[in-house]
Amino acid sequence: MDPIEVTGLTKEYGDVRANDDVSFSVERGEVFGFLGPNGAGKSTTIRLLLGLIAPTAGTARVLGADVHDEAALIEAKGRIGYLPAELGFPPNVTGESVLEYHASIKGDDRLDELLEIFTPPIERPIREYSTGNKRMLGLIQAFMHDPELVIMDEPTAGLDPLKQEGFNGFVRDERDRGMTIFLSSHVLSEVRRVCDRVGIIRAGQLVELEEIETLLDQGGKRIRVTTTEEATKALSALDGVVDIQPFPDGIQFIYTGGYNALLRELARHDIQEIEIGEPPLEDIFIHYYGRREPSSETGGDPDV
Amino acid sequence: MFETARYEARRRVQGAAVLSAAIGLYSGFIIWYFTVLEGVAIEDVFEELPPALLDAFGVQDLATIEGFLGAQIYNFVWLLGLGLYFAYVAGGTIASDIESERMDLLLSFPISRARLIAEKCLALFVPLLVVNAAGGAAIYTLALLIGEPIDATHLLLVHLLSIPYLMVCIGIGLVCSVVADRAAIAERVAVGFVFVLFLVESVVGGAEEYDWIQYLSPTHYYDPTPILLDGTYELIDSAILLVAFVGLLLLSQILFQRRDV
Repeated sequence: MDPIEVTGLTKEYGDVRANDDVSFSVERGEVFGFLGPNGAGKSTTIRLLLGLIAPTAGTARVLGADVHDEAALIEAKGRIGYLPAELGFPPNVTGESVLEYHASIKGDDRLDELLEIFTPPIERPIREYSTGNKRMLGLIQAFMHDPELVIMDEPTAGLDPLKQEGFNGFVRDERDRGMTIFLSSHVLSEVRRVCDRVGIIRAGQLVELEEIETLLDQGGKRIRVTTTEEATKALSALDGVVDIQPFPDGIQFIYTGGYNALLRELARHDIQEIEIGEPPLEDIFIHYYGRREPSSETGGDPDV
Repeated sequence: MFETARYEARRRVQGAAVLSAAIGLYSGFIIWYFTVLEGVAIEDVFEELPPALLDAFGVQDLATIEGFLGAQIYNFVWLLGLGLYFAYVAGGTIASDIESERMDLLLSFPISRARLIAEKCLALFVPLLVVNAAGGAAIYTLALLIGEPIDATHLLLVHLLSIPYLMVCIGIGLVCSVVADRAAIAERVAVGFVFVLFLVESVVGGAEEYDWIQYLSPTHYYDPTPILLDGTYELIDSAILLVAFVGLLLLSQILFQRRDV
C-alpha cells in the first residue's frame, strides 16, 4: 500500500472547487513534488490529507488511514511529520519550549541531529524570529520524531540559499533512508533539485503526473549556438524548434525534435560554439499552463 | 497524557498571577472602604434603588462585612467580572489558534480534536483555581486585619461554589470559540452572552409571568451573598451548573469535530 493514495478528492467552497477530482499516489521512499501557482489548490489537498478539512467527495488514505476515519488518522499522525505553509507558533514562548511541547507528544529521537542542520535561535522567543528561523523551527518539528512520511507545504519559503541547499541535501538523504516526502511548491527549480516525481495542479485539477526526468525530456533541450547569420536562419526553420531567442552572434532555442536531424543541419554550417542543456523547468511549466504565471516565481502568499 | 493541558497551563500562569494581584488590590480597597463607612447608615443610601438593581448586585445586609463583601466583591467581581473574564478567555482558545493558523500544527498531532479542546479547557482551571485560592486567602486575611473576621467555612463555600458557575462561563466561551472563525468575534459574543444572561436574570426575577427565563441564566444558580451571610446554598444548583458545563463542553467538541479548520 502506498503512503499516500488520493482518489477523486474534491473540495468545494460554495461555487469554488478548490480541489476537483484529484487522484494520485505517492510511493514509498520517493520525494513527490506537488507543483502549482498560488491558489491552485495545493494547500487544500494537503489539508484534506491531514483531516483538517473534510472532502466534499472522494477520499484519501494516508499511511493506510482513510481521512474520514478520525481514529485511524490519529494513529497514523504519530508517524507523519507536517510542515504547514503558515507557521503560527505562539509569539511569546521560546523555540525551545515549542520543541519541548512537540517532543512530549510526538517524541524527539532526532532532535539533536536536526538542531545541527537547521539552526534557529531556540533560546529566544518566537516573536524575535525571522521568517527563515520560523521555517527552520518548523522543519525541525516536522522531522524530530523520525516519521515515515513528511508532508510539507512550501518548505523552503523564507530560507536563505545556503539553508535551502542544506534542506535539499537533507531531503535527499532522508529519501535514501527510506522516508517518503510529499512537498508542495510554486518554485520549480526547487522541485527539480529534490523530487523524483511531480504532480502539477492547476485551478484545483491535477493536469500532469510525471517522473521528473520525463518532464524534462518532454520539454526538449535548450540549444545555444554561436554561428553565422545564414546558419541561424536555417536552424530557425528546422522542425521542432520553438521559443527562438536570437543574440548578436547566434541563436538560442528549445529543440523538441530528433537529434540526427539537428546534427545534420548543424554539420552544414560553421559552428563556433554549441551548448546543449536541459531547459529551465519554468519553460516546461509554461507548456502545461500555456502562459507565464507572474506569481509563480515571486509570490510569497500561501494559497487556499 | 495531558501534554497539551500542561503546556497551556504554563502559559496561563502569568495571567492568573496578574489577575489575582488585581483582585487582591481591589479587595484591599473595598475592605479599607468598609472601615471608612463604619458608623454611616449605608443601607439608607441604597434604599432609593429599584429592587431589581439591589437584587442584581446582591445588596443585602450591607452593614455587615459579609453583606458588604457579597455586594461589592462577590456579586461584582466573581459573578460578573470573572464570569465575563472566563467567557472571554475561553472564547479565544480555539478561535485564536484557528485564526493564527496554529491549529494546523496542533491537529497534525496524534490526538483527537475532542481531547485537544478538553485539555485546553482543563488548562483554564489554572487561573480559575489560582484566583479563587489567592482571592479567598487575601480577603480572609484582610478582613481579619481590620478586626472583622469572616466565617472561614462560609468563605470557603462561596469560592468553592463559584467554580461550577465559572465553568459554565468557560463552556459558553468554548462553544463560541469553535463556532466563530475569528478570535475577536468569539470573545465578544461569549462576553456579550454571559452579560445578557446576567442582566436577564436580574431583570426578569421580579416579573412573575416571565420568571422562568431566569432559570436559563447561570447566575441564577450561584448567589454569593447568602452563602457568605449564613452559609445557605442549594447543592442542586451546583449540580445543574456542572451538568450545563458538561453539556456545553460536549457541544463544543461535537461542533469542533464537524468543522473545517
